[in-house]
Amino acid sequence: MLALTGNRTTPTALALGLLLGLFGTPDALAGDTSGTMRVGDMQFGNALDLRGWTPMLHPADPDGMSYLHAGMLRTPTGALYPYPPMVDAGTPMGQGDWTYDGVLEFGYLHIGGDRNAEYFRQYADWRSGAVLGLFALNFNNRKTGAYVEFRGSHLSGDDQFYRLRGGRYGSYRIEAFYRDMPHTVSTNAYPIWNGVGTTDLTLPAPLVAGASTPAQVAAASAAAPRRTIGLTRTREGLSYEGVLYRNWIGSAAITNEKRTGTRLWGGSMFFNYPFPDDGGILETVRPIDFRTTDINLSVRNVGKLWHFLATYNGSFFRNHKDHLNFESPFALHNVAGAPQVADIKDGQFSLEPDNDYHNVRLDLSRELKWNGQFTVAGAWGTMRQNDALLPPTTCTGTGGIYIAPTADYTFQCANWNTTAALSQRSANARIDTGLLDARVTFQPTPAFGWHAGLRWYREDNKTRYLAYNPLTGQYGYISENGSQGSVVPGETGIFDPTNPLYWSSDVAIHNVPFGYTDSIFELGSDWQFGRKTSLGVTYTYDHNQPKYRERKRVDEQRIKFDWVSRDVIGATVRLSWEFARRDGDKYNYDPYEQFFSESLPGFVDPATGLPAYTVADMRKYDLSDRTESKARAIVTYPWGESATLSATFYGNRDQYDALIGRQNTSTTGTTLQWDWQPTPATTMNAYLGAESSRMGISNVNDADGPDNGAIFGTPGQTNPNLGGPLYPYANQWWEFDRESNRNAGLSFSHDFGRARADISYNYTGSSGHVGYNYATIGALAYRDPAGVAAANAGFPDNTYRTNTLDLGLSFRVNRNVGVRLYGRYETGAFSDWHYAGLDNTLSYDHRLYTDKGGQLHYSVSLVGIMLNLKL
Amino acid sequence: MTYRTSLLLACLLLPTAALDVAAQQPATATAAAPASVLDQRRMQPISGDAQAGAGKAAVCAACHGAQGVAIAPNFPNLAGQSATYLYAQLKEFHDGQRDDPVMTGQAAALSDADMRDLASHYAALAPKPAGQADVSSRGAQLYLAGDPAQGIPPCQGCHGPAGLGPQPHPSSAPQPPWATFPHLRGQSALYVTKELGDFKRGARAGSSNAKVMHGVAQTLSDDDVQALSAYLNAW
Repeated sequence: MLALTGNRTTPTALALGLLLGLFGTPDALAGDTSGTMRVGDMQFGNALDLRGWTPMLHPADPDGMSYLHAGMLRTPTGALYPYPPMVDAGTPMGQGDWTYDGVLEFGYLHIGGDRNAEYFRQYADWRSGAVLGLFALNFNNRKTGAYVEFRGSHLSGDDQFYRLRGGRYGSYRIEAFYRDMPHTVSTNAYPIWNGVGTTDLTLPAPLVAGASTPAQVAAASAAAPRRTIGLTRTREGLSYEGVLYRNWIGSAAITNEKRTGTRLWGGSMFFNYPFPDDGGILETVRPIDFRTTDINLSVRNVGKLWHFLATYNGSFFRNHKDHLNFESPFALHNVAGAPQVADIKDGQFSLEPDNDYHNVRLDLSRELKWNGQFTVAGAWGTMRQNDALLPPTTCTGTGGIYIAPTADYTFQCANWNTTAALSQRSANARIDTGLLDARVTFQPTPAFGWHAGLRWYREDNKTRYLAYNPLTGQYGYISENGSQGSVVPGETGIFDPTNPLYWSSDVAIHNVPFGYTDSIFELGSDWQFGRKTSLGVTYTYDHNQPKYRERKRVDEQRIKFDWVSRDVIGATVRLSWEFARRDGDKYNYDPYEQFFSESLPGFVDPATGLPAYTVADMRKYDLSDRTESKARAIVTYPWGESATLSATFYGNRDQYDALIGRQNTSTTGTTLQWDWQPTPATTMNAYLGAESSRMGISNVNDADGPDNGAIFGTPGQTNPNLGGPLYPYANQWWEFDRESNRNAGLSFSHDFGRARADISYNYTGSSGHVGYNYATIGALAYRDPAGVAAANAGFPDNTYRTNTLDLGLSFRVNRNVGVRLYGRYETGAFSDWHYAGLDNTLSYDHRLYTDKGGQLHYSVSLVGIMLNLKL
Repeated sequence: MTYRTSLLLACLLLPTAALDVAAQQPATATAAAPASVLDQRRMQPISGDAQAGAGKAAVCAACHGAQGVAIAPNFPNLAGQSATYLYAQLKEFHDGQRDDPVMTGQAAALSDADMRDLASHYAALAPKPAGQADVSSRGAQLYLAGDPAQGIPPCQGCHGPAGLGPQPHPSSAPQPPWATFPHLRGQSALYVTKELGDFKRGARAGSSNAKVMHGVAQTLSDDDVQALSAYLNAW
């Protein structure tokens, strides 16, 4: 019957009915222990086995967690611990004290349906074929506590892990690991270029750089093969942690992460929107070829009086492909002057530079009277990069625009396409950090305790770069690789105090060395009322001093109340509420004058005055006055001996004191969870979660259009005030973002003795709405009838939804052999207006996209059969 | 639907069908703890008739003494012992979870009421007078503080700081069956040595408490056992 039905849904449904299992040979190995922060990598698992030890699960031990306590234990707040797995004692090796145990799981996976769906493959390299689910082998010496463990899993060459760990409990541990993790960005990409994944993107024939028509580009895009964009993270590491001498414990770890692959990237050759048939906006593909090496060293000592910890963290990033060159297919036309004096058709990106990070830290603590403790930490860090800089442009010949001998906006590329055009040959960038953190806590009586803390942190940016060309004596840089100045006269991006054409160009000439000093004082107290109720109050004063920002001082005061009772009609209830107010000194809407050419000698103010930097009533959200409140309630109710019902309700509200900028944000959410384990053989869980968040923004469009106040370049544009000629009230607009997320989960498992069945269902869904309003059409960028009609129509909502059903069955053939049947059926739906229309074409005039985005609908099934062998 | 998929699904059906058969077979030993182990974790303090117990204790006195203090060091002292502990031991002998050439036979004929009465009788007797224990000895250190480096927990956690039974702090957390833990003060060194050896070897493993002691005894060396026994004997 299956072979006769030719549609796609029937086999999927039948597969669902049969599907397959989860847990394997029951009498396998003990659960995994994840590595500490000092030693080892994160959790080892993969998409087939997220927890990393599912196939190793033993049947639950009916004795529970302890020979001392009856029944299942709960956490202090009432949540049930799961039944522990029954531990295999292992097989003796000869006459010695060593035992071994292990499991080998291997089998076959088959993927059906939309196997290339982006969200299905995002972090898993699913393929039909043979897989090694798990190979684990443990050796233990119960007498000495020595052990050796090996674990490995292989779904594909890009999705696998292996780990070898050995040591002696209470003495030392050594670990080595290797893993590959896939990260798929898109499975629906159609780049037109040759050389994807390299540093040079070249156009395929018949396209010609800078001389192709939109129709030719559209045809090339339509003919481009579908490609997957993504990368693989390869991590390997070696680490040690152990006793050095008496109470001295040391650790050393080195990890190396290599990322290889591709990512979607940009590629603009000046903007196309205001100039149809001109410029070019491209979505390109950049290479990923990084390596990050992390070194962590620590030594600690727990003495009778003092506790001591010294750590060094070093991180070294190396990018083996530090630039991206791309050919733009589109022609540029200057909007004034003699036709096309420039032939700008190539672009170049400087990608992430090599950089080093060092941090040394010392922590000290000691016991005090009144059941007190004093801790102090000091740290110093530095981040540096000194990569060789790339020339400002790659163009050759003459760029810019020639209008007349007195309006010659051309420039010689030879003066800019060499590193001799730079004020320095390497970046010489550096940021130093310092930290001092001290804290005392006292608990003079069981019913009362208090603490105080003082934290000081500074980020000192020492980077100073001047954009100055010693070959020409000019400041600034060639914007958009020369394309901008080749379309619009004078927008070359340079300042020249000797040239009337450029002596009023206000261009960026320095980097802004952002930094800050942050001091936090905290004072808190806790009271215990009876044995089951407590109240905590904490006051925090945060004094922040940003450098080169709109404010020199930002202060925030916060008070937080926590109330916990472990006996409210049998439930544990935790309530918290906090309130904070932030303000600061006078807000300077333009503190950046010193970083622009207007601060240089020889700068001549334009006849119409310097354009306003931005609207003076703008308040950036991280610096504006703000009132914040947060509330949270968590209820955990032990429902009989075998069930727990828990619920969380939370809400955050922020109000910003700003005419222009972020107005408010709010988040409201709830979760509800039921856990039930009536017997060691049966567990059931249900979960519901919902959250909605909102954000309001106010902004104003500048009056740069003839139908809307003053034309750009006329008097009035120097006035930065809201309500002035440049920022009239009529041009105000408001945005109201709304997002809601829902998720639900249901899982059930039952152990029949020789067989075990598992079922789980998960749902995630989100919806995003962008709403807006505006005073008049003066707020719109495009005020033609089509633009106004589009603005009135609004944005469609974005939605994302997945349903995943896992069914499983595993059973034992005999003591040493088991079969694991595994299956998954997943559906998803995706709708995002950012990608609207791209399913039909990726080419619009001089704009070319590469990624069509996630599949609008997909369904995929996965079945597998695994053989489990107990070793 | 491809032929390959059909074949795969057909293969998957086979083990599923076989499973029904497997599921009907008796549960294996791994599905439940051995029935012979006495689970003492929910055991409540017992009550009995001490006076009636005195009347049933004549045969016991032959080894454990008329006042519950043993006539020879290979027998345990029973005077002042926890009644619940004594009842649990008699029940283990009676039900076969604990084995002894003499006690197995003696307990076989006892009714549940007999065991409660006897336990109550011996619990009501005055314990052996206190001795002079060496508080600086290795045995004292093990009893009071354990030896974390060797994984040895302090005995006093369950047996009490004075060796006269546990003194738990009030807590709303799940409680161990405190009443089932024996008093150890003044117990015969020979007897303690033998019992720790039985715990260690697994020869005495018929109850949940014995499982706890199996883990504890595993951490003790022969010298540690001797040191502990000597300390308790002299205490």
